[in-house]
Amino acid sequence: MKKFLNFSILCLIIIFLSLLSHATVAIAGEATDQVRQTVDAVLDVLKDKEFKKPGKEKQRRAKLREIIVKRFDFEEMAKRSLALHWSKRTPQEQKEFVSLYSDLLENTYIRKIERYENEKVLYTDEKIDGLYATVKTKIVSGKEVDIPVDYKIFRKNGKWEVYDIVIEGVSLVNNYRSQFNQIIRSDSYEELIKRLKAKALKEP
Amino acid sequence: MKKFELELVVGFFLLLGIISLGYISIKLGKLEIVGKGGHTFYAEFEKTGGIKPKARVEIAGVEVGIVTNISITDDYRALVELSIDKSIKLQEDAIASIKTKGLIGEQYVQISPGGSEKFIPDKGKIRETESAIDIQEIISKYVFGKI
Repeated sequence: MKKFLNFSILCLIIIFLSLLSHATVAIAGEATDQVRQTVDAVLDVLKDKEFKKPGKEKQRRAKLREIIVKRFDFEEMAKRSLALHWSKRTPQEQKEFVSLYSDLLENTYIRKIERYENEKVLYTDEKIDGLYATVKTKIVSGKEVDIPVDYKIFRKNGKWEVYDIVIEGVSLVNNYRSQFNQIIRSDSYEELIKRLKAKALKEP
Repeated sequence: MKKFELELVVGFFLLLGIISLGYISIKLGKLEIVGKGGHTFYAEFEKTGGIKPKARVEIAGVEVGIVTNISITDDYRALVELSIDKSIKLQEDAIASIKTKGLIGEQYVQISPGGSEKFIPDKGKIRETESAIDIQEIISKYVFGKI
C-alpha cells in the first residue's frame, strides 16, 4: 500500500512538473509570436505593391506607424532615454517630450526600414525573466551582412511591449540617453526640445 | 646588557620592515582584507571582451566600484559580479555596458543611470546590459561581407 502511495505521489509530481514546463513553453512562444506579428505586418506593408505607387508614401508611413505604435511603448522608451531628467519635468512637458521622441524614432527608423523589401527576419532566441523578455532576431537580406536585432520587451496590460531595441549590440535607449544627457547638461532641457523640433521639421 | 639592546633595535627595525612590506603589497595589489563594504550587483553579458576582476566600474567617468568576479552561466553567458560603493543607488533601468578605453585600451564597465523610481536591491541583477563590442569582428563583417 505504502509503495503504491509513493508511486502515485511520484507520478503526480512528474505530471505536475511536465505541466509546469509545458506552461512556460507556451508563454515563451507568446513573446516571440507577438514580436513576429508586428514585424510581419511591417514587412507586409513594405512589400505591398499598392503602397509603392507614387503619391502613396504618406499613406504607407501612416500605416507603418499604426502598426508600430501598437507594439512599441514610446512613453517607456522616452522615459528610459531621458532617465534622470524625466522626473524633473512636469506631466505636460513629459507628454510633449514623448510626442517629439516618437516623431524622432519614426523619422529615423521608419525611413531606414522603408528601403527594406526582400529582407527576411529569423527568430533565433528568446529569454524570459519574469515580466521582462528579450527576443533575438536576425535580419537576413541575401546580399548584405546579417544584422542582429534584439527586442527588449516587457509585459504590460496583458501583452508584450517593446521598450528597447539592441542593434548589433548597441542599445537604442542607451544611445539616446547619453546624447540627451549631454545636451541637457551642457545646454538645457529647452535646447534639447528645440533640437528635436528642428529635426522633426527638417524631415517631414 | 648592551648586546641585548642592540638585538632589540635590530628586531624592531626588522618588524617595521615586515609591516611596511605588508602594507605596500596590500596597497599596490589592491588586496582587501576587510571588504570595502560595497553593494554587490550582478549583470549578465553576451560577451565580456575579456574583462578581468578588479576592472573599474564607472559612472560618468568616475570610479564607483570594481568587478569582483566573473563566471559563466548555464546558457553560456558571462555573469559579472560588481561591487559598487554603498552610497550609489542604481535604478532598475540603469544600463551596464562593457567599454574599452580608447581603441586598444583596458576594458571597464560603464553604468548609465536610469530614471525609474525603483532601485535595484543589494545582490540584485542589472537587467539592461550592453556587451562588449568587438570592433574587429564588425569591421571584418562589413569589409568582407557574408559568404
